[in-house]
Amino acid sequence: MSEINYKSRGSILNPLRTLSFLARKPVTLPLEPRAAAPNYRGFHLNDWEKCIGCSTCQKICDNEAITMIHIPELPEDPVQGVRAQRPAIDYGRCCWCGLCVDVCPTASLSLSREYIHTCEQHELDSYFILPDPHGMHKRFYDHGWRKTADEDLIDLQRQSMPEREPVERLQSFDEFIDGYDTQAAILEASRCVQCGMCHDSCPAHMHAPEYIRAIWEQDLEEAVRQIYRTNPFAHVCGRVCTRRCESACSIGVRGEPVAIRWLKRYAMDHVSHERIRAIAGGQRSGNSSGRRIAIVGAGPAGLTAAYDLAREGHAVTVFEALPEAGGMMRYGIPSYRLPAERIADDIDVIRSMGVEIRCNIRIGQDITLAQLHENHDAVLLGIGLQFGRSTRIPGSDHPGVHSAVDLLRRIRLGEFVAVPPAAVVIGGGNTAMDMARSLARLQIAQHGLACVTITALEDREHLLADQEELRETGEEGITILPARGPQRCDIDDSACIDGLFTVAVRSIYDEFGRFAPCYDDSDVQLHRAGMVVEAIGQQADLALLGEELTERLAWDRGRLQTDNRGQTSEPWLWAAGDLVNGPDVIHAVADGHRAATGIGAWLAEFAEATA
Amino acid sequence: MNDHPENSGGDLAGEGSAHAHGQLTGKKSLQEILETATRFEQTARDFYTAMIPKVSKRIRYLVEELAAEEQEHYDLFSQLATSPDIDAQILQQIAVPVNDHRFSDCILAPDLGEHPDDQAILQYALYREHAAMEQYRQLADSTDPGPVQDLFSWLANEETRHKRELEAEYYRIIHSGGV
Repeated sequence: MSEINYKSRGSILNPLRTLSFLARKPVTLPLEPRAAAPNYRGFHLNDWEKCIGCSTCQKICDNEAITMIHIPELPEDPVQGVRAQRPAIDYGRCCWCGLCVDVCPTASLSLSREYIHTCEQHELDSYFILPDPHGMHKRFYDHGWRKTADEDLIDLQRQSMPEREPVERLQSFDEFIDGYDTQAAILEASRCVQCGMCHDSCPAHMHAPEYIRAIWEQDLEEAVRQIYRTNPFAHVCGRVCTRRCESACSIGVRGEPVAIRWLKRYAMDHVSHERIRAIAGGQRSGNSSGRRIAIVGAGPAGLTAAYDLAREGHAVTVFEALPEAGGMMRYGIPSYRLPAERIADDIDVIRSMGVEIRCNIRIGQDITLAQLHENHDAVLLGIGLQFGRSTRIPGSDHPGVHSAVDLLRRIRLGEFVAVPPAAVVIGGGNTAMDMARSLARLQIAQHGLACVTITALEDREHLLADQEELRETGEEGITILPARGPQRCDIDDSACIDGLFTVAVRSIYDEFGRFAPCYDDSDVQLHRAGMVVEAIGQQADLALLGEELTERLAWDRGRLQTDNRGQTSEPWLWAAGDLVNGPDVIHAVADGHRAATGIGAWLAEFAEATA
Repeated sequence: MNDHPENSGGDLAGEGSAHAHGQLTGKKSLQEILETATRFEQTARDFYTAMIPKVSKRIRYLVEELAAEEQEHYDLFSQLATSPDIDAQILQQIAVPVNDHRFSDCILAPDLGEHPDDQAILQYALYREHAAMEQYRQLADSTDPGPVQDLFSWLANEETRHKRELEAEYYRIIHSGGV
């Protein structure tokens, strides 16, 4: 470089060299871009059919180049895990690193082989684009960078859950799921992309991304703190939640959803009960409101409301007709799925907030509802659906035909329930599966062999039970016969139940998806059994209301009418849980929160009005 | 499911079965058939109306809706009886199905007890709708094409539609609660 003489002006003939270009043939290069490499990182493409608007791309972008844009025309369904939004890219910020592509749970994002965009000064906004599958200038230049299995940042496979073999399970009512160890929990938590679809879909809007992150960081007390922000039934939901969160999980689009329920269980099982009590207690108000609230029914809705109201400083008393608190969690779900100790742990935390639970008191018999009204500022009904419905087919009033709700309650109460060598259960929901599996365990204990058949009106595709329950039921050797309508119970010459006649169901819904069963009379079967159990549906015992109050109250097609806060047409009376909104623990928890918020606001309004 | 609390043989599972023309016995005039059908709707309306104060307010909507539906049908039949479209055929003799008695039996109000529950009411209503649906379908099959056959076909479709609505309600109330 130093040898160059920069001061030299060159030859005097240099200008003439320019003239030599006049003799040359002109060359015009096209404005069209030349083809880029097959894995070129050009402008983004997004397949809107695949994209669910989860915003994982936005969260991973270090340059904050991605903004989620709400598109009103797109479907929005939190339960299905679909948001009406799509990512927009600011090419003033994007560095084409491709992380958004590599992390995209649905693999809808890719980069193209297009790389040229120019504009006038007044068109600078054109660098902020909403990618679609057609390309930035509505011309498709083919795909460039697309992730393969090697580059995929999403782990599609969940950590397996250790559990006992079916043969071993059937020997007792002991819990058969072992739970994650720390290594499995960290690996499973690391699969979460923090998109928050689970939060949106959860009826209680649990802070799952936050507690999963805390588990990944091994800050388990923080995980418990996040769980208790929205759910006082953390042990219970860590075991038996119906997991709408997992149905909406973005990882589930291409792989197995994150095991959110099992992670919650891991956090709860790995923090001492004393610490959990202390963490939950930290959310309690120190002030007493001077208000008294009665809650009828110590199920998940009533106790959640009690927890919230006690936290706000109200004096809460819960009245429970059965010997222990817990409602259907304790008396409707078998202990192999939900051990009594775990329910007791959750309830102990609720009690520690100052909630008084008075068991063995039946409202309407031991104390009237009017008395509760007289002695309290508000009364909340959280009585659930305690009665089983009957098919009322011929023979269903025979003593050998039982209600699943009653039988499950007797088993959980520790009563001896004699079972015959063969039994048949009518129903296709979780209660039917719980009943059949409980009967199988009792048969093993009493006869050494299990023989249980489930007949369901619905076809396999429309069975109401969870897929997991169906799988486990099948693993335990229970025969599930879908699309069979109960016709009559068979009673033998000695007046004993001999089985159940069913008829084939050709179809159950009409073209509009309404229940319109169509039967095949030529296909009738007898399922021989010494016991028939009906598990078709449940209803509330509303006798406690009495005739006069029943007449005063407003009803909505057979259900107690409440407003969106849970208040009935009688301002002092509130309702929550299965009684008004079903059908599972997490919905009851959400409903309990809703009612507690409503009662709190109503009491405040009342106080303001009377001040 | 048994669709009638007092009729152990008549179950929902048997619905929709076709009956051949060979099973048809006896003949009635169109006028007689319409009179029977009108009584069928009238007694049902009165039955449900009388039940309204007897049942709990919780399920009163059910009998109120059933009574209103039967009133609509009653009004319809009353109009039909004077319709000029079928005036010329009013004395026409029509073969009636062998199970005509089942339809006629429905004119008699059943004893559902002093305080029937929602399931008993729905099962009775389903039984009636099923009997009516079958009756009109078979009457349509046994008449020649023309306004009378069109009338029976239309009535059969109406009863089928109502029966389906009741079945959906039955499933919602009995099968879907807390499963």
